[in-house]
Amino acid sequence: MSDDESVKVITPPNTLKSRVREGGPGSVDLAALERAEAVIADLADSYLEWVEEDLEKIRRAHDALSANMDNPAEYVDAVFQIAHDMKGQGGSFGYDLMTILGNDLCRFIEGKQAVTKTDLNVISLYIDTMKIVISKRMSGDGGAEGQKVLAGLAMVVKKITSG
Amino acid sequence: MVDYNLERLNFLIVDDNKHMRALVQGILHALGVKNCLDAIDGADAFKELRHFPADIIICDWNMQPLDGLDFTRLVRTGKDSPNPFVPIIMLTGHTEMNRVVEARDAGVHEFMAKPISAKGLYARIKAIIERPRPFVRAGMYFGPDRRRRDNPAYRGSERRKSDDEASGGGGGGAELSQEEVQALLDN
Repeated sequence: MSDDESVKVITPPNTLKSRVREGGPGSVDLAALERAEAVIADLADSYLEWVEEDLEKIRRAHDALSANMDNPAEYVDAVFQIAHDMKGQGGSFGYDLMTILGNDLCRFIEGKQAVTKTDLNVISLYIDTMKIVISKRMSGDGGAEGQKVLAGLAMVVKKITSG
Repeated sequence: MVDYNLERLNFLIVDDNKHMRALVQGILHALGVKNCLDAIDGADAFKELRHFPADIIICDWNMQPLDGLDFTRLVRTGKDSPNPFVPIIMLTGHTEMNRVVEARDAGVHEFMAKPISAKGLYARIKAIIERPRPFVRAGMYFGPDRRRRDNPAYRGSERRKSDDEASGGGGGGAELSQEEVQALLDN
């Protein structure tokens, strides 16, 4: 039997097109998109409050990993999950550096079967750098200071992982 | 460019993080949406779907106990699914190629990489309105036709095989930008 014979195509009723009006008052124009982007900016202040909880959570996950290096799988996963959430949230609320750092941390630990003291130090550095970004309110690309922080982190990570 | 009025559409937002739910809801309201309902995970969302006639679902990937992928499969193929055809936008930080393919193969319509932007979200909503997709039942798969573009070279299931090869057979995968995600989905 060929695969094509078992394929069935169904056309669902397209109700969406009939329920949206094109143009006119209330339609999504440039002004509406700008209002929506402003909503994101307004929520940035609240982000700064609850991201502190995430920073504490990821620090605790790091400490738990440190205490369980002989059986690290679930603890590595815990750090990864929190970093992954922070990656998605940071840039959504205007803190792009949190997205960069969260992503880099995810890439660093994903798939690690074993964890060394050096790995723990690197994870800790990422967490500390995220704390700096938040405490210094480095929104957007963080400006010159933000870029300096990223470059400094990259240099230190390179140094301790190559040593 | 056509501007749509979205006020008659019902949106279901599924995310375990209340701040992210508030963010998506805030964006949608600013875009003129009147009817939004929240759910905190896939199981909660599936329950809500029984009485809330969602036109579009915006769904996070990482959630407990039922994640976005399992939720999508449940909506598409669950025996008691209230609406197997409902469009689903997967909203996630997972942008590795194999993850994008996995989400598409679960039956999502659109894939949006976090961080979220209002323009990006509206672009996905527009795509759903303007490009309604036929549904396909093929083997274990039920969901929107994964071939978005007419391709005379298409030969049935071979296409999915080439995707597996492109994604390294599902093991790992490079990080993709939103543009690359779109190119992969449109291919």
